[in-house]
Amino acid sequence: MEAFTHLLSGFASALTVNYLIYAFVGCMLGTLIGVLPGLGPAAGTAILIPITFSLDATGAIIMLSAIYYGAMYGGTITSVLINVPGEAASVVTCIDGHQMARQGRAGSALAIAAIGSFVGGTIATIALVLVATPLANLALKFGPAEFFALMVAGLCLVVGLAGRNMFAALLMTVIGLLIAMVGLDPVRGAPRFTFGIESLIDGLGFVPVVMGLFGIGELLLAAEKRQARMIQADLKNWMLSPQEWRASSGAISRGTAVGFVLGLIPGVGAIVPTFMAYVLEKRVSKTPERFGKGAIEGVASAETANNAYANGAMVPLLALGIPSSPTIAVLMGAFIINGLQPGPFLFQERPDLVWTVIASFFIGNALLLILNLPLVGLWARLLKIPFSYLCAGVLIFCIIGAYGLKQSMFDVWVMLGFGIIGYLLRKLDFPLAPAILALILGPMMERSLRTTLEISGGSFAIFLDRPVALALLAVPLIVLGALLFRPGTFSKLRESDVE
Amino acid sequence: MLPAKTRKENRRTTGMRQGRLIATGAMLAFCLFTLWQALLLPLTDRLGPGPGFFPFWLALIGAALAVGLLITTFREADGPAGAEAHILPHGPGAARWFAIVLLLAAVAASMEFAGFRIVMLLFNAALVIALGERRWWVIALFAVLGSFGVYYVFTTWLDVLLPTGVLGL
Repeated sequence: MEAFTHLLSGFASALTVNYLIYAFVGCMLGTLIGVLPGLGPAAGTAILIPITFSLDATGAIIMLSAIYYGAMYGGTITSVLINVPGEAASVVTCIDGHQMARQGRAGSALAIAAIGSFVGGTIATIALVLVATPLANLALKFGPAEFFALMVAGLCLVVGLAGRNMFAALLMTVIGLLIAMVGLDPVRGAPRFTFGIESLIDGLGFVPVVMGLFGIGELLLAAEKRQARMIQADLKNWMLSPQEWRASSGAISRGTAVGFVLGLIPGVGAIVPTFMAYVLEKRVSKTPERFGKGAIEGVASAETANNAYANGAMVPLLALGIPSSPTIAVLMGAFIINGLQPGPFLFQERPDLVWTVIASFFIGNALLLILNLPLVGLWARLLKIPFSYLCAGVLIFCIIGAYGLKQSMFDVWVMLGFGIIGYLLRKLDFPLAPAILALILGPMMERSLRTTLEISGGSFAIFLDRPVALALLAVPLIVLGALLFRPGTFSKLRESDVE
Repeated sequence: MLPAKTRKENRRTTGMRQGRLIATGAMLAFCLFTLWQALLLPLTDRLGPGPGFFPFWLALIGAALAVGLLITTFREADGPAGAEAHILPHGPGAARWFAIVLLLAAVAASMEFAGFRIVMLLFNAALVIALGERRWWVIALFAVLGSFGVYYVFTTWLDVLLPTGVLGL
């Protein structure tokens, strides 16, 4: 009940003109990012951070969250019209969505995607309201040992689900943690690994590194490829028939449940819930042979799960301070840039911000529905933007984003360097998600571990005396042990790299 | 021992395997260098773990993982014959790739001296030409909007400070 009282005050704040504009602009930009092939939500959210520099913390988070949701929906449009997913989670939508477009039903496919996204996102946000507060209250009882164990568990789940090769995923995690060590020691304040370079005193900036790995890396990959051809689709006719409504309603409810539950688990990634919701829908269908040939339930289930996952993934971020995917890590970076530390203390210290942001999720979902049905033709036309202008536009944002945070050209070099590294790592099939999550969690992990060891006088036995920490540390042992001794474990969940 | 299906899935082309070996070797070198640097820092102090403690253990674990990955990659079977993998940019896209990288480097090297507007004007024009645009008026319009227009929006509306260089541009 207390949560709903807070939520109402959050709505009062989120419905002010400024925040509505930020949510609206975020939804538009996010959809644009999602529509443009080659730019995923993580890259899109990272490169658009500079436009939030002048906003207050609440406004910045509202806009970036809306960009995230918008990007998740925007990817659908390219999946349906050109059979190229705008972001990884829309891969499953290609299967039936593009077939529907080929049959002249592109409008219906995009309409059910928008409706499913709205329903999935809204119900998942209601669940977030119900779950986040008790979880945050529980986490308030955590000490540094529990927080360290929680971060280790989160990272190991990401590692376990991130790629086919556990060694590579673990190594990427360690590399991310080591990069996070550059700069001032978070406990004593002593400079480390700076080699006398003044720009390294503050460490390697999260924004330039993420912009490089995702934004520049994805752009360099896209520069090598040719653009796909768009289907000339009838987008004016997007009204669903009663049969299509009936077929989709069950898929939407099942997709919501699958998406939200999997969103709570760090490392699952957006593609897994969409894939599982699709498979579930095919299993329960009386006519599974229609799947892959333009079944509207296939689109409804995948798109609903996609947005329900996006909202579910906010629970570990807001309640525990654990990012569950690279895009959420970018959002966490935005919190930190604004002087905020996501997690249970944020509910106590800045309840106004937390509940305004949560209320804005409802508003963002509604805005996406209102925007996307009538504007689908406009988004489709954006697919005709030549790569040269798209590339130049993205690079302008990247340069400003990398430079603007600290007015340092060194950060532009960092972005370029990590862009080339990101390009090579993607080509060589190294998972980037564990490195990004480790990069943002590194300083917090070190602080928690060292504080724990200071309390215990340097003894690791303290973890044995704290049952919650011990239980949380058991999770990575089980996951990694399962992968080591039974490599086929989670193979369904590891169909693809995390986002 | 990997199951047969996983072994088949994991097959990579020779080029890919060599690329992974080189990348893993580079990561191993990075971990060993960090390990050495961490040893130069105090591992413990009177309050407990020192600044070198966490990076030391991480680098050690990282080095062990890199060795493990090197061994598993080395023992991997080659992929199907005829399959090719280009690790570095290739084909018609290579020119676009190098244009982006070199122009970005040029921006980073010159912007503080020459200022955002001048540098981005030249960057935008050069980039779209390198990526295939030939209509001069489109190039000019895009270059001006992407430099002077963007500068105005970001500095005036979004309060982002951008470099003006020695000429005040």
